[in-house]
Amino acid sequence: MTRLAAVPERRAVFREQRRFAALSEPLQSRGHLLYRRPDYLEKITDWPQPERLVVDGDRLILTEANEPPRVVPLGSQPELRTMIDGMRGPLAGDLAALRRGFAVEAAGSLQDWTLTLTPLDPRAARLLRRIGVGGHDDMIRDIRLIQANGDEQWMQIGPPA
Amino acid sequence: MKPGALPHGPAADGARRRAWPVLLALAAAILILLAVLSRISVRTDMVEFLPAGQTAAARLVMDEARAGTATGLILVGLEGADPAELARISKAMAAALPATGLFQLVAGGEAALPPDALEQLFARRYLLAPAEFGVDALRAGMEGVLRQLRSSAAPLATQFGLADPPGAFLTLIRGWAGSSTVRSVDGAWFAAGHDRALLLARTRAGGMDVPAQETATGAIAAAFAAARPGPARLLVAGPAVFARDAARAIHADVQRISILSTLLIAALLWWRFRSPLVIAAIAAPVVLSVAVAAAAVQLGFGSVHGVALGFGATMLGVSVDYPVLMIGHRKRGEPAAATRARIGPAFILAVITATLGLGAMLFSGFPGLAQLGVFSAVGLATCALATWFGLPLLIVAANLAPVAAGDPAWLPRLERVRRWRWLGLVPVLAAAAYFAAIGGPHWEGDLANLSPVPAASRALDQALRAELGAPDAGQILLLRGPDAETVLQRQEALLPMLDRLRTEGVLAGADAAATLLPSQATQRARVAALPDPATLAARIEQARAGLPFRPEAFRGFAEAVAATRNLAPLRPEDLADTPVGARLDPLLTRRGAAWQGPIVLHGVTDAARLAAALGPGTADVTYIDMRGELGAILAGYTARAWRWLGCCGVLVVLVLGAGLRRPGMTARVLGAVLAAMLVTAALLTGAGVRLSLIHLVALQLVAGVGLDYALFFARRQLDAEERARTLRTLVTCNAMTLLTFGLLSVCDTPVLRDIGVTVAVGAVLAMGFAFFAAGQAPGEA
Repeated sequence: MTRLAAVPERRAVFREQRRFAALSEPLQSRGHLLYRRPDYLEKITDWPQPERLVVDGDRLILTEANEPPRVVPLGSQPELRTMIDGMRGPLAGDLAALRRGFAVEAAGSLQDWTLTLTPLDPRAARLLRRIGVGGHDDMIRDIRLIQANGDEQWMQIGPPA
Repeated sequence: MKPGALPHGPAADGARRRAWPVLLALAAAILILLAVLSRISVRTDMVEFLPAGQTAAARLVMDEARAGTATGLILVGLEGADPAELARISKAMAAALPATGLFQLVAGGEAALPPDALEQLFARRYLLAPAEFGVDALRAGMEGVLRQLRSSAAPLATQFGLADPPGAFLTLIRGWAGSSTVRSVDGAWFAAGHDRALLLARTRAGGMDVPAQETATGAIAAAFAAARPGPARLLVAGPAVFARDAARAIHADVQRISILSTLLIAALLWWRFRSPLVIAAIAAPVVLSVAVAAAAVQLGFGSVHGVALGFGATMLGVSVDYPVLMIGHRKRGEPAAATRARIGPAFILAVITATLGLGAMLFSGFPGLAQLGVFSAVGLATCALATWFGLPLLIVAANLAPVAAGDPAWLPRLERVRRWRWLGLVPVLAAAAYFAAIGGPHWEGDLANLSPVPAASRALDQALRAELGAPDAGQILLLRGPDAETVLQRQEALLPMLDRLRTEGVLAGADAAATLLPSQATQRARVAALPDPATLAARIEQARAGLPFRPEAFRGFAEAVAATRNLAPLRPEDLADTPVGARLDPLLTRRGAAWQGPIVLHGVTDAARLAAALGPGTADVTYIDMRGELGAILAGYTARAWRWLGCCGVLVVLVLGAGLRRPGMTARVLGAVLAAMLVTAALLTGAGVRLSLIHLVALQLVAGVGLDYALFFARRQLDAEERARTLRTLVTCNAMTLLTFGLLSVCDTPVLRDIGVTVAVGAVLAMGFAFFAAGQAPGEA
């Protein structure tokens, strides 16, 4: 965790696969990520449906294709906040912050570690079952979000092209 | 002017002085006052003070303005600590307050609606919001859900979207979210610009139930203290808090004024007469007059407004003139009839004209002012009658007279000043020229500035309201009907036009009850238009073709539509005492036998086009620009007050002419009074004051005291000794008026402050002008 915290800025590309109970096939997408300490996260989806998601402190700004940006204050959406914190926390390497929102379980070695995050807030738990984060050294390999209804969002992260 | 030595002679013989009648009279007057005060009911709210309206439309507006103040809305601000700490305190308060049972609603963060309220709305989405169920509409909705599943808003799609491809819930929730601009920090609402946490509470009790509001605001303060606030400060505002603040301010003002003005008058009279018996004799008619005046207002209006009581306390400063004039003019040892004969004509004229002068206030139609008018007129008349018939018996019994007497050397020197009385025209002409140059005095057009609520409280309320995104109802469309259903249907008939006006940029938005809760007719029509399960299933299959949704993906949607077919329409009463109902409440209310549903318009850019689109108003639909209407109502009352002022002025002139029987002297007396009023108005305007109905009324008081002065100066063929007595007595009267109304000018209650400043300034000017214009110049007979 402390080694994660030492990285001031990260850039990466991602490939994401979403599985929904309602859909007969998984949805694929690609894009890139920018993280800047302490709490700025940008997730830009390039394909197939352009979207820009910026989480800056307590604000979430979502810009879909040709629509005007939508600003969502995270404070008013505790469930959404828990999910964002689950992604941002490992990037920040802020274990204390993670422990405020989740039961944190660590396993593996420095070369191949996993963190399992289970939300503590019952309202958040109604939506989110757990978040799994895997990686090696100070690199995050993948983040897997499992919704309460079994839907799954799996993001694989690699070095920038 | 120093009091002279005690004169010697038979009158100074102590053996003939009897004190007990004076003391007995005062004791009786005090007992009567206490008896009256224990029986009157004192009101301090704004509703009692404001007019009910003359025309039907005006009554409607005033009703709305009063009802706005009748809701127990409390705006809470927290500041003075770092945001995280403020958020913690805010959440602690929001958690503690509902448990008190005093509040219908406490909101301070989290989502606008709690989860169970959201579920309630979600279950009724096809009743409450429009939706289309054709194949094409369903296909478009499904594609939208798929896009949402690909996006970061995917959790919303699984939670709501799959069960609602037509998107009715989204439409519904946008309406309920309102136009708030608050941001959220750690789950607490914050003002957009700065670190101030915000909470909104609505009390179960009405806003004008002052004791209940005291309890509610007390509970808020207690919850704040229990949250260990440290350096943080608590701010509260809102109509309910206004009511409490106004009540407190008036209470404190009345108490302070009555105590201080009594002490000051007593001190002044002590300096002038050097006798506790004289003070007791003067106090008796004054105390009696306050008692009778309060009783008259109670009988006439059913209650006494605190402002009238506070004003009444200072009316002491005017009515006390009468006993002072009587005792001040008595020669020691003189029988009562002799004093009365010397001052009689001036005294009687002064009382009649002063009481007449208050008529404009009495008939202004403005309940608060009418109370002041009754209080003053009855008080003056009672005090004069008691002085005329009762006081001589007392003063002869106790042998009271001023300590200073004789024909002092300073009198001719002072009266020589009158040679330059034409100089008195200078300020009058200057005032007239000033008004001519600026085009007349500035008039107050905002009714709010006549309210008994302190300005600081109103400013805080404005600030918190703006930050919470709960703007004042400035422009509204008032719809009325015999029941809630009719009102909602009338709103629904108007909404398409308002939507069109919004797209044309005429207005930014409209809050209407019907967008939150459609009429039962609309809800029933929606149910009737729902497809039956088999039809819907077929359409879903058709719309789904070629999309990656599993067959069972929209089961929740089909079930919800089927369930809606059996739902009874939601009625306003079903929402009572819920957070959803609290949001609906101000937009749909029962008012007597009828129901009202104001459509609150935001950001109106083109009022003329809006009015044109609405066409001529009917009894059921009225377009109201609140500020403009209130201004018009106020102007109406001001015009009415002017008319009565004119009528009373004519009466006063007639009475003066008949009483004085000298046209020249009548002109000089009137001139002195008018000069004082004009210069006072000019001075106030020059100081940046916007003149209002209140100032107009205060100027009538100035006229009343000015007439006293001028009439006594105008008496004919007096020897130097009597002229000295008159001057001394009038200076005493003037000093008393100045002291008591000067006290009013430091009040927290705006109405009392305005009256105080005007009368204090006017009384001094009236004294000066009366001395110059109405008194005899040396050599003049």
